[in-house]
Amino acid sequence: MNEALLTLGFALVTASILALSAVAFTLEYAVTNVANVSHGEILTVGAYAAYLVHERTGSAIAAAIAAALAGGFVALAMHSAVIGPFVRFGASPTIVFIATLGVSFMIQNTLVIFFGASNVAYTLDPGAPRHLGPFLLTPLDLEIIASAIAITLVLYVVISRTRFGKALRAVSQNRELARVTGINATRVAAATFFLAGLIAGYAGFILAESVGSFNPYFGFSFFLITLTAAVAGGLGKAFGTMVGAVLVGFILEFAGGYVSASYNLAFAFAILAIVILVRPRGLFTNARRTVFE
Amino acid sequence: MSAYIVSILTEGAIFGIMALGLNVIWGWSGDFDLAYYGYIAIGAYMTLVLTIGPAVAPAHYILGLQLPYPLAVVIAVLSAMAVGLVVGLIALRHLRGIYFSIVTLGAVYVMYVLAGQYVPLFDGYNGLSGLFDPMGDWFGLDYLSYQWFLMGLCLVMFALVLLFMWRLSGSRFGMALRTLREDERAAAAFGRDIYRLKLKGYVLGAGVGGFAGALFAAYLSAFNPSAWSPVEIIVLYAAVLVGGRGNIWGVVLGVFIMGLVVQESTRFLPEVPGHPQIVLALRGVIIGLVLVLFLRFRPQGLLPERRYVDPEPKLEPATRTA
Repeated sequence: MNEALLTLGFALVTASILALSAVAFTLEYAVTNVANVSHGEILTVGAYAAYLVHERTGSAIAAAIAAALAGGFVALAMHSAVIGPFVRFGASPTIVFIATLGVSFMIQNTLVIFFGASNVAYTLDPGAPRHLGPFLLTPLDLEIIASAIAITLVLYVVISRTRFGKALRAVSQNRELARVTGINATRVAAATFFLAGLIAGYAGFILAESVGSFNPYFGFSFFLITLTAAVAGGLGKAFGTMVGAVLVGFILEFAGGYVSASYNLAFAFAILAIVILVRPRGLFTNARRTVFE
Repeated sequence: MSAYIVSILTEGAIFGIMALGLNVIWGWSGDFDLAYYGYIAIGAYMTLVLTIGPAVAPAHYILGLQLPYPLAVVIAVLSAMAVGLVVGLIALRHLRGIYFSIVTLGAVYVMYVLAGQYVPLFDGYNGLSGLFDPMGDWFGLDYLSYQWFLMGLCLVMFALVLLFMWRLSGSRFGMALRTLREDERAAAAFGRDIYRLKLKGYVLGAGVGGFAGALFAAYLSAFNPSAWSPVEIIVLYAAVLVGGRGNIWGVVLGVFIMGLVVQESTRFLPEVPGHPQIVLALRGVIIGLVLVLFLRFRPQGLLPERRYVDPEPKLEPATRTA
């Protein structure tokens, strides 16, 4: 029983990181209707930026800001250099899927050129673990969970209460109609990518911290789990995705805790295959509502 | 120098067979299949466990037989087709587009994790080795003449696969696969059983991949998880794309061009001391760039598939909707 509660604590941390990564991915999907396979590299770049800034300044807060900004600009570059032109050109989703796979490959190898392919150790002092209710969590874990919840709340306000959020929802529902009403769809999509990049870059920072090390390929393996969460929650649906992320995070931690962590990704894909085959539109969809709630 | 040419031609022929198999699935049937490299790996692994004899501790692997190489190749191809059938049965039932790609990515990842982590299967991360000069002693060949023999074998096999694909390309089956790529509903309206046809094409492609893997095992004499590096995989997709999906001559051209790009693009770069991965990584960046640029500016490839145009179109162009 005690071990189950411990696992539950880890699962909360995994789910928080996964929720941020997955919601960023799903925002990118919502405004373009194509899957950005190079999403994982936003996290990787965020982790490298955090590490470099942390080494120089010694401040974790500066590292977090650097990670978010680096992620934001990388995502913006992905949109303006590759995804945006492809979408305006009318390329099929599969073509963009392959193209972003190529982008992901380019970024990974560029990082290898500058930083080498080996693991970089990156740990913050987690502090002494404390009992919090039934869980045993370190202050670092608590900060990760709290920041994920705070970011989610801010995102909710931005999407549901601001003019930009309204435009984002319009573009995601029908790009053509949104343009007819005077919304600059390209600019809204670019801004959404920047926002998603901020979140994903920060997710890369806390992922690197919680794993303790990273390398140029680390975002891509996490992307595979992100994809599972996003598809389980319904592609393009921000809040369904978060529930999907929490579910997948819990399943992974429990499966990894009791079987073996090296099979984690295989598990993720087993879940993904089942979800796609049984509920291809996600677990929480009813036919009438298709976009953000 | 001649040893260099021999190895290039052998690799090129094997790579060509891989690309022709991928072309059946991606080029004709139109499904972007990421599991394809898994079938190559199964072909290579199965060939090895069927020929290198029982495992000596601390190595572990299944079977461990000492069958003659040609028989092992046949069984390896059948195993690749069997796994392809299972993946195809699941992935082709309802899924198309990126959902198909995601599920096949999952399938290849599961295969990779099993081969790399589950030691009793193919000795985990160490992989298998010890297939030296298969069929060499039948003809009494020494090491050097064996390299020439293997090159000849691979080139002949490549020519046979190419001939087969050329016949298949214009056959009713080849045409039917293409109609599925263009318009599944129309094909169904004309009585085609879409699922069966796609599955047939998929299993055929997997078999060709497995065959290439079996030759690859003879060339490398070993196989392990690091042989499935993403570089190898993405070069294969780039070759098919650059040459021209659906056109076998385009695929052959693509293999030739990507071979040149991979080998020559980094030839004049200075070696950076203490940084051995840099040249390989730079190759990766170039391959990724080629892939993206072709998708954007010439997605049909350098030698596009010939379109069959109705010589007497009944509709006026103006009445067609965009």
